[in-house]
Amino acid sequence: MSRIVSFLIRRAIAGVFTVWVMFTFAFVVFWSIPSQPANFVYPGRQHLTDYQIQQADHILGIDRPKLTQYYDYVWHVLHWKFGRSWGDYAFNPGLPSGIHYPDVSSELSREIGVTLSITLGGALFVLLLSVPLGAIAGSHLRSLSDRTISLVALIGVCTHPMVIALILRGIFGEHLHWVPPTGYCPLRQSGYPGCDGVRDWASHLILPWTTFTLLFLALYIRMIRASVAETLPEDFVRTARSKGASELRVMARHVLPNASLRVLTMVGMEIGTAIAVCAYIETAFGMQGLGLAGIQAMLGLDLPEILGVVTAITLIVVLGNLIVDGLYAFIDPRVRFTVDNNRTKSLAGGVI
Amino acid sequence: MQTRSPWKLAFSRFRRDRLSFAAGCVFAFIVIVSFAGGATASALLHHNGTDIFPYAANDNQKPVGPWTRVPAKHGSYGYSNGDLTPPPKGAPTTLLIFGADGALGRDEFIRVVDGGKASLEIAIGGVLIALLIGLPLGAISGYFGGVTDTLVSRVTETVMSFPLLLFLVFASVNLDYTLKPIGAWGSIIPEGVVAEAVLIGVFTSFYPTRLVRARLLTLRREEFVEAAEMVGASHWRILRHHLLPHLRPTLLVWAAVATATNILLEVGLSFIGAGVQPETPTWGSLLSTTWGTIYQPQLFTSVSFTVWQTIFPTAAILLCVLSLNQLSEGLRHALEPQADR
Repeated sequence: MSRIVSFLIRRAIAGVFTVWVMFTFAFVVFWSIPSQPANFVYPGRQHLTDYQIQQADHILGIDRPKLTQYYDYVWHVLHWKFGRSWGDYAFNPGLPSGIHYPDVSSELSREIGVTLSITLGGALFVLLLSVPLGAIAGSHLRSLSDRTISLVALIGVCTHPMVIALILRGIFGEHLHWVPPTGYCPLRQSGYPGCDGVRDWASHLILPWTTFTLLFLALYIRMIRASVAETLPEDFVRTARSKGASELRVMARHVLPNASLRVLTMVGMEIGTAIAVCAYIETAFGMQGLGLAGIQAMLGLDLPEILGVVTAITLIVVLGNLIVDGLYAFIDPRVRFTVDNNRTKSLAGGVI
Repeated sequence: MQTRSPWKLAFSRFRRDRLSFAAGCVFAFIVIVSFAGGATASALLHHNGTDIFPYAANDNQKPVGPWTRVPAKHGSYGYSNGDLTPPPKGAPTTLLIFGADGALGRDEFIRVVDGGKASLEIAIGGVLIALLIGLPLGAISGYFGGVTDTLVSRVTETVMSFPLLLFLVFASVNLDYTLKPIGAWGSIIPEGVVAEAVLIGVFTSFYPTRLVRARLLTLRREEFVEAAEMVGASHWRILRHHLLPHLRPTLLVWAAVATATNILLEVGLSFIGAGVQPETPTWGSLLSTTWGTIYQPQLFTSVSFTVWQTIFPTAAILLCVLSLNQLSEGLRHALEPQADR
C-alpha cells in the first residue's frame, strides 16, 4: 500500500513540474513572438504614438521587468488568480476601480465546466458503446459482424471531427430542429433564458457527445477487440466455461476485465487529445469552452487568457493522469510502478 | 534454395494480405491522381483550377452540380439589371466534372485533385521533417543515454501530454509572414505549403523521437551491438549499419499513420484559419471555404451551397486516411510478423 502511495506522490510531484513547465513555456513563447499589446488598450488605431504605447504598457503592467512579471504571475496563479483578460481593457483604458469585469479565473471555471461536460459525457458514451461492440467483434474474429463494426467505426476517425460536427449540426439542429444547433446550458440553474436543468443541458450536448463518440469509438473498439481475441483461447476461459458459466458471464467476468488496463492506459494518454478535439467541437457548436477559448486567446495574443487556459488544460491533463494512475494501482496491484516508455499516440492523436 | 531479402519476404507477406494490398493500391492511386491529375485534366478540359466561370454559379451564388457544361468564358457576356445575360446560342462550353466550387465558379474536380497534391505535400513533408528532427534526437537519447536522455524524455513526455494544437495555432498565425514565402515553387509547391509542413513536422517530431528512443533502448543491449563494439566499430557505424536497419519497419509503420493524421491536422488548421491561404486549394481549405473558419463562420444554407462542396473533399480525405490506416496495419503485419497484434 505504501508503495502505491509513494508512487502516486511521485507522480503528483511530476505533475506539478509539468504544470510549471507548460506555464513557463507559454510565458517564454509569448514574449519571444513579436506583438503589440498596446493595441488592446487602443483598439482599431492604425498608428500609436510612443506616448500611447508607453501608457498602454504601463496600464497592462508590462513595462516592468519580465522576471518581475513572471514571479508576479506565478504568485498569483498559485492563488488561482489570472488577472483580467487584456481584451477587457479596450472598453475602458482608464482602469476603472469600481466596475467589476469578469476576470479570467471566473471565465475559466465556466469554460472548464463546458469542456468537462463534453469530454466526460462523451467518454461515457464511448465506453458504453465500445465494450459490447468490441466484445462482439473480438469473439467473432474475421466474421461479417467483426468487419462491419471495424469499418463503420473507422469512418468516424477518418473524417475530421469538425466536419462531422458541422454535418450533424446542419442536419439535426438546423434542418430537423430536433435539438438546439448551438450554445450551451450550464447544469446549475443560472438564469439563462430557455435553460432549465438537466434536460436542456443534455439536449445542447447530445450532438457534441455524438461527435466525440464517433471520433474515439474506433480506437477503443479495436483495442477491446484485440484484447478479447487474445484472451478467449486462454485456459481460464475454458475452465470457466466447463464450470457451466454462461457466455455472457464468461465475457463480463473473465474476458473483459483483461482489457481494462489497456483501455485505462489509452485514456490517460488521450486526455490532451480529447481537449484538443473539444476545441473543434466547441467551435462547431458555438460553445465557449476551454479549447475554443484557448484558440481565441492564441490567435488574439492575449497573455492572461493564454496563461490561464494553458494552466487549466495542463492541470486537467495532470489530474486526469493521476486518477488513471490511481485506478491502475487499484485494478492491478501487481503493476510495476514505472512510467511506460513505449507511449505513442493513436490515430485520433493526430488531430492533436 | 533461393535466398530472399527481408524486404522481399515482407513484400510477399504484404502481397498476401489482400485488404492491405488493396489499401496500398488505393493510396498509390490517390498519390498519382493528385500529382498528375491536375495537369492532365487541365489539358483535357481546357481550363485549370483557378479559372473563374461566372456562369457556373446562379444568382444566389449557388454553384452548379456535378457533370455540368457551362459557357467556357472566364468573363460574362454582359449584364442586364445586374444579372448575367444568358450566353448566346452556340457559345463554346466546358465541362465541370464535380461542378463548381463556390460563388466564383471554379472547377471543383481540378481543385480537389490539386488540393490532394497540396495536402499530401504538407502531410508527407511534415512526416519527413518530423523524422529529420526525431531520428537524431531519439538516437542520441536512446543510444547514449545520460543527461541528454533524461532531458529529452522528460521534455517530450511533458509536451506530449498537452494539446499541441493550441501552440500550433499560435506559431502558425504569428510566424505567418516569416514562413509563408519560403519554398513556393510554381504550381508544384504552392505558397504556404512548406511553412505548414515545417510547423506540423516540428510539432509532431516528439512521436518519432520517443519511438526511436524506446526501440534503441532495448536494441542497444542486444548481443550484435556488443559484438560490433568488440571488433572496434565506431558509434556512428553501429548506429548507421547495425541499428538503423532495425528501426526502418517501425518508422515506416509510423510514417503511414502520421501521414494520415497530418492530413486531418491540415484540415483542422484550415478550419481554425491557421492554414494555407484560402486561394490555395487543399482539402482543408476547400472545406473551410464552404463552412467558414472560427472568425468567419458561415451557416450552411441550401440556397447558396451544394452538398457536393462538402462531399467531394470529405470523400477524398476519408478514402486517403482510411487507406493509409489499413496500409500501416498491413505494413506492421508484413514487416514485424513476430510482434503480431
